[in-house]
Amino acid sequence: MEKLMQDLKEQIIKQLNLQELTPADIGDDQSLFKDGLGLDSIDALELIVLLQQNYNIRIANPEDGPKIFASVRTMAEFITANQKS
Amino acid sequence: MINKMYIRGTGCVSPQQTADGSGFLEEVRTYQTSRLPVIDPDYKQWIDIKLIRRMSRVIKMGVAASQLSLQEAGIQSPTAIITGTAYGCLADTGVFLNKMVAQEEQMLTPTAFIQSTHNTVAGQIALMLSCHGYNNTFVHRGFSFENALLDTMLTLQENPTAQILTGGVDEITDQSHAILERFGLYKSSNIDTTNILHSETKGTINGEGAAFFVLSGEKGDNAVATIDAMATLYKPTDVYERMNFCADFLSKNNIEPTAVDVILTGRNGDFSSDLSYDHIESSYFPGATIACFKHLCGEYPTASSFGVYAAVQMLKAGEVPPAMLFGEAKHKQVKKVLLYNHHNNTHHSFILLSVC
Repeated sequence: MEKLMQDLKEQIIKQLNLQELTPADIGDDQSLFKDGLGLDSIDALELIVLLQQNYNIRIANPEDGPKIFASVRTMAEFITANQKS
Repeated sequence: MINKMYIRGTGCVSPQQTADGSGFLEEVRTYQTSRLPVIDPDYKQWIDIKLIRRMSRVIKMGVAASQLSLQEAGIQSPTAIITGTAYGCLADTGVFLNKMVAQEEQMLTPTAFIQSTHNTVAGQIALMLSCHGYNNTFVHRGFSFENALLDTMLTLQENPTAQILTGGVDEITDQSHAILERFGLYKSSNIDTTNILHSETKGTINGEGAAFFVLSGEKGDNAVATIDAMATLYKPTDVYERMNFCADFLSKNNIEPTAVDVILTGRNGDFSSDLSYDHIESSYFPGATIACFKHLCGEYPTASSFGVYAAVQMLKAGEVPPAMLFGEAKHKQVKKVLLYNHHNNTHHSFILLSVC
């Protein structure tokens, strides 16, 4: 899980072009949207594509989005639960 | 009905130090390559970090130049925003198209697509300023900036009190430079922008930049110059058509050639296309000071916007900077400038400017 979260942080920084941040600046449980990292709806689309491209996971129910993308930890848990072995 | 536009503010990001607050051409940047990149200012002084990460270079250039011109005009937001660009947001267009091919049209991300349209620069400026006024972008190759100016003139005729943000912007990318270079448009050896205007070979130097102006039908407190007239000529058949067009332009605007202090031309070092300038200079303006600007900014479809910026700086200072002179200065005080530019010998434009 720790390795996956570290990878996710690096991928988020690269995909969203967060030039001022390093993986160490993103907390495992920090909110990705609003008061946390401040991402917006366009970033949410980028994160959906990130999951598809890097982990071959599609989000079947869009209403699950807010829960899945709440933090790096919730994303990692979702990937772990849904990744085909 | 207005008959001239007052220039209340100017802003420019270019291969010269035009965005750092120093005097125009106090220090001239020279290049020994065929590609002149803009000198990037610190864009964070105008753009929030959260926004800047999505912006490609051309958007940052446009936003910075627009902010500089608004600051000079002393206004927060304009009545309308009108831009001209030939290539648009080329870098993001390339990113999006490359992803389409590489990913077989699957899982395409939204950011590059959103930022790849030609009107992204004008749209982004409007979003940042919360400007809900008229917003238009002209994509007419070598006339993109000129048609943005024309739309500004027409808009100001309806509403002379409006303050319109008008600009021209274009960028070079690695791919666009490589493709245009294959057409033989640029010089390949012995390039030095210091003496390129006296070159006797074909080809020029590639350039990019953004120049914005706050224009109004009313003088206000801070107008520095006026755009008195503008005309365009597409694909003239020969030298006589160009010369007759120039004569008609002057006549329609009741200007004697002797009233023009400086003829500012888009001479770019390509000896064949520079002949157009030779004819006009020697036939109509033997007594005028001849100045040039493309050895400073390079050749690109909206380079005339840099030309207008340079003309305003000359009118403001009342003299031609030594780095722009082509020959000797013949007038002590610059009060009227005729900008004659052409792009690829197909898009010819004449813009007449005067000091306020």
